Amino acid sequence: MNLIPAVESAAALIVGGLLLLVRRRALIAARGSEQEADLQKRYKKHLILGVLALWLGCGLGLGMLAPPQQAELHVNVFAPRMILLGFEVSSSVVVGWIAMALVTLAALWVRIFVIPKFQEQPEGLQLALERMVGFFGEYTQEKAGFVSEPLSAYMLTIALYLAACAITELFGLRPPTADLVMTGSIALITFGMIQYFGLRHKGVGGRIKSFAKPTPIVFPFKLLSDIATPVSLACRLYGNMLGGMIVMHLVYMALGTFGVGIPAVLGLYFNAFHPLIQVFIFVTLSLTFIGEAAE
Amino acid sequence: MDGMVAIGAGLAVLTGLGAGIGMGIATSKAAEAVGRQPEASGKINSLLMLGLALTESTAIYGFVTALIIIFQS
Repeated sequence: MNLIPAVESAAALIVGGLLLLVRRRALIAARGSEQEADLQKRYKKHLILGVLALWLGCGLGLGMLAPPQQAELHVNVFAPRMILLGFEVSSSVVVGWIAMALVTLAALWVRIFVIPKFQEQPEGLQLALERMVGFFGEYTQEKAGFVSEPLSAYMLTIALYLAACAITELFGLRPPTADLVMTGSIALITFGMIQYFGLRHKGVGGRIKSFAKPTPIVFPFKLLSDIATPVSLACRLYGNMLGGMIVMHLVYMALGTFGVGIPAVLGLYFNAFHPLIQVFIFVTLSLTFIGEAAE
Repeated sequence: MDGMVAIGAGLAVLTGLGAGIGMGIATSKAAEAVGRQPEASGKINSLLMLGLALTESTAIYGFVTALIIIFQS
């Protein structure tokens, strides 16, 4: 075993720890006094250098304990299969069940423990929940005003489920939304709803007539674009999720054993913010298409 | 053969060019609109979001096509 990296990593860890300790000592002594802000500015260098040294030590140590394998990027465009209880299922199905269980448990927890404690003046979690439900209600009312109550409940369910699916990526699982079959199934539900509401509000004749507006020439194109709607919805969500996953793969590969801390900052965008934007866009597009079909 | 696969994937991902130009135009128009009518910014925002999502999908199609060319050929 090579001794030099071990010494280097230990030295970096000790230096980093010492720097942070010195800064902490100095700041604790000055707490409450007027010099605190001044000292904080002066010890900024200690903080930066200490964190950098700790990061270097962690990277070197991990590189010594588990040397990185020179792997090349390979991405499964379709989700890998796995054997569960004798059945061959897609891994995204299993992870999707985990996400469903999480959402269901959270919903049960809210129903049993949080809702009975609701007060007249909303606060904390109650405020967040009321804002969320209220926002979806208003948004559905704005986009497709005719059936806002059940539609907004469905949209909120889809949004929570997709968000839970995206969060499973943080635990090292392949998110089920990065699978064309899964996004396709959700898009098919939307397609069914578009047809259902369109037929219910216009009737068969009215729906066919609406395809032939403004001139009968556009009839085949409108029919085609109607059929292309679920495909485009599914591909959009799938491509975005897969793209985020590949970028995170590349970051982990490029950093190797030094991937301590930095992926967390990037993951905040690629695993938290980006999926939420995509969920919002999915809901918006679904509502717009449903509203368009029924108008 | 590998080289041709790489060239094909690169050509497929050129869709990002058009999507980028389109998104830039849409965003500039939205900024102009907000500058002219700041009170309508909420409506403009949601319209912009919808437009960006639809524009972005072309880039995403190219990206998915390139991935399938590389990893499934």
